[in-house]
Amino acid sequence: MTDCGCEKALAELEEFLHNELCKEDYTDIAEHMATCGDCEGEARVGVVLTQAVQRACNETAPEELRARVLVRIREIQSH
Amino acid sequence: MLEMPVLELSLAAMTTTEDQSEPEPVEPGSVENLRELFEEQAIPFMDQLYAAAMRMTRNPADAADLVQETFVKAFAAFGQFRQGTNLKAWLYRILTNTFINSYRKNQRNPYQGTIDELEDWQLGGAVSATSTITRSAEAEAIDHLPDSAVKDALQSIPEDFRLAVYFADVEGFSYQEIADIMKTPVGTVMSRLHRGRRLLRELLAEYATSGAKK
Repeated sequence: MTDCGCEKALAELEEFLHNELCKEDYTDIAEHMATCGDCEGEARVGVVLTQAVQRACNETAPEELRARVLVRIREIQSH
Repeated sequence: MLEMPVLELSLAAMTTTEDQSEPEPVEPGSVENLRELFEEQAIPFMDQLYAAAMRMTRNPADAADLVQETFVKAFAAFGQFRQGTNLKAWLYRILTNTFINSYRKNQRNPYQGTIDELEDWQLGGAVSATSTITRSAEAEAIDHLPDSAVKDALQSIPEDFRLAVYFADVEGFSYQEIADIMKTPVGTVMSRLHRGRRLLRELLAEYATSGAKK
């Protein structure tokens, strides 16, 4: 099987998505994605997965905790 | 593949370091300044640290205690923090150390520590449940899952995988930054992130298809 670019794109997909590739590798894969529906679909799933995790982890610390921490820091400082 | 050129890391770092503010030297002995600076610079990370602590401890009371302990330690060491370097990564290192040293020990499910050596089949769900649906349907399904389903799935994957996913996907840390925070080689970070995301994807696909059948 000649490598049409799928092999490299899939092997380095996570590094592609997490911005860990050098410019040349990134461009190779981006160009391949533009013409390959399968790899582009894989990348889409990866991106959607990241977004789902980001949404789920968007939390706010309780106000009570914020107040507690500020009090503790002032206590430590005054010692 | 494990050794990445400096250029790549700096590219990744550019997208993750938001605090590019000019280094501001703290007057030695100026305790008041130090506290004000800490409140101004470190306290705004509380929501993020709390979310990370929730992923670590898996319950709100322990997460709050962990965050408080992290800030207390960070404040005690803040005089040594080099202004202009990455404060977020510094805080996450303290959080992760504190978690490993004081919480993991006390957890009812003691940490097993060998997760990196387990084969995929030992972790379960190795057969892709996603092979029968198209990629676009899968993306669509994941996109529509409720946050609670994603949280449940995150909670159920091994801790080191979960944290690697959290650090990379939520915080946008580079592999090298995660390696520093987790005190592990970059190759291990990659493996944890890849495996964590694969497990997560399988769990979410399972959730999506079982939900559709109801």
